[in-house]
Amino acid sequence: MISRFAAEIGTATLTAGLGLAAVVGALEFGIGWGDAGPEPGAFPFYIGLLVIAASMGTLIQTTVGRHGLQSVFIHREEAKRVASFFLPMLAFVIVARLLGLYVATALYISFVMWAQGKYRLVISVASGIAAAIAFYLVLEVAFQVPLLKGPLEAALGLY
Amino acid sequence: MENFASLLHGFGVALSTYHVALMMIGVLLGILVGVLPGLGAPNGVSLLLPLTFTMDPVAAIILLTSMYWGALFGGSTTSILFNIPGEPSSVATTFDGYPMARQGQATQALTLAFLSAGFGALVGVILITVLSTWVAKFALRFSSPEYFAVYFLAFASFIGLGAASPFKTVVSMGLGFAFAAVGMDTVSGGLRLTYGFNELLSGISFLIAVIGLFGIGELMLTMEEGLRFDGIRARVKVRDVLKTIATLPRYWVTLLRSSAIGCWMGITPGGPTAASFMSYGIAKRLSRRKDNFGQGEPEGVVAPETADHAAGSSAILPMLALGVPGSATAAVMMGGLMIWGLNPGPMLFIERPDFVWGLIASMYLGNIVAVLMVLATIPLFASILRIPFAIIGPVIVVVCFVGAYTVAGRPFDLWLALAFGIVGYLFKKLDYPIAPLVLAMVLGDKAEDAFRQSMIMSRGSLSIFWSNGLVTTLMLIGLALALGPVLSTLVGRMRPKASSAVA
Repeated sequence: MISRFAAEIGTATLTAGLGLAAVVGALEFGIGWGDAGPEPGAFPFYIGLLVIAASMGTLIQTTVGRHGLQSVFIHREEAKRVASFFLPMLAFVIVARLLGLYVATALYISFVMWAQGKYRLVISVASGIAAAIAFYLVLEVAFQVPLLKGPLEAALGLY
Repeated sequence: MENFASLLHGFGVALSTYHVALMMIGVLLGILVGVLPGLGAPNGVSLLLPLTFTMDPVAAIILLTSMYWGALFGGSTTSILFNIPGEPSSVATTFDGYPMARQGQATQALTLAFLSAGFGALVGVILITVLSTWVAKFALRFSSPEYFAVYFLAFASFIGLGAASPFKTVVSMGLGFAFAAVGMDTVSGGLRLTYGFNELLSGISFLIAVIGLFGIGELMLTMEEGLRFDGIRARVKVRDVLKTIATLPRYWVTLLRSSAIGCWMGITPGGPTAASFMSYGIAKRLSRRKDNFGQGEPEGVVAPETADHAAGSSAILPMLALGVPGSATAAVMMGGLMIWGLNPGPMLFIERPDFVWGLIASMYLGNIVAVLMVLATIPLFASILRIPFAIIGPVIVVVCFVGAYTVAGRPFDLWLALAFGIVGYLFKKLDYPIAPLVLAMVLGDKAEDAFRQSMIMSRGSLSIFWSNGLVTTLMLIGLALALGPVLSTLVGRMRPKASSAVA
């Protein structure tokens, strides 16, 4: 269980960090006045400062209004549901990088249908493969947009 | 009358079998993304955009705008039948639309929603027809400082008119500008903010951000709430539809008022969501049947729907004439125009009149096609939501990631989409507005160029932003909007203290 307060502080710290990253990155390219007007880093530098300042504003506002924010950001039950959605999705991205998007699609849809939808394994796998083939037909055949492919497609000679 | 002649010419461009077929496909795809949770107008357009890169720009924009209309209609459908807004802008439609459907008046609610939406959209398009040339001519006088002032005004109005905390709006906007700055610097041509990663050399595409923030983020939120559809079975009967059409003139005051609110919020970047809530609130306050609102009052469906679509269509006006989009979806479409090599803004009216007027004419036709198609296909689309989420959920996820990959064919974008998804989930839960981020990513380079060119013109002096009447006025309105919330909180803080001192 995470409180809204903690979530606010965490997010504001994250955005301040991103602002800081922009500032540090911009310093490398000069933030002053160059031969052709403002140097490339000037605009990102001030934008970064603005993000840091506004994040600080949120941090201060959150700390000042602390008792108003004791509400729950996420319950254990909700967190479980989000995780059960997010983790397979993360696995999908990792597999897609290794084996290509089509194989990842078939595996991901089969897994979610089987594990979360409680379908029979045969039906789940068949649906997953059918979905991958449908994507192949729409993208590669109809629109001629190539997707990320892996060793399986290479073995099948689909290039 | 000059506009009218151009419009007729535009109809000549838009009215071909190919274009009308594209409209129908666009509307169908739009209803589909509008009905499905996690997909909506902005990311629907983002997903389709890479597939249109090879198309003729006129055909491509007709497909995309038709998808936009379809998505707006699809969003209202789920609001009424399932009490689940398919789009943020149709939240207000659930207040009275769902109660109406529960009382067995689903057909009436849907028909009223679609017709008033069509009416609102039509008013928006008429406004575009009348005003666009004038706005574009006016904008021809703009040079860099004025453009920067217009961008400033657009972003300031997010801070001033948005419901979110001003700090959060600024954070969201600033991050958008920062993401836009990654990669090549358009003025010097050099690279910046890549932190040594080769993957960042070509920058971060706003399309990836939209797919992640709106698509994946929204899905995570939907999952957290635990998805359950208590849908109401609707069979659209032709007789009920005709009967409902006959009742529509009764709401003429609401229709006109809501259209006006919608057009105003669409042209200023208030956007359709704010417009629909505002219109609902005002209709409730002014109605004689105040107490019926929230329990299935037809006027409570008419008001938000009209404003939503009026805002949705009039948001195209500033995008076309000024190059400043009025909503997140308009921002995505503008990004698309730039990818096709068209530069939105006053010059577009001079260089590509066939494109501009073809688009405007297609908006008239597209809305009519959309109303007819949505009435005909609603039972079909409503049945999609009865497919278990264990099947439809992963398919939507795959569509999002496949869409992210097709933007540029870079595997790294899959990670970016996932990261933006997490950010979108956090931002939505903590009430950070997302539209300013998208707008800043699309406009980032243009705003920065305008700023840097102004600085070159003035040799580094900020005084160029109040050097003439026009730019001063724009900057002053912008400053007033940006500082508005700060001033009102200060005043608000002073007041209770003063009153307690008196007491």
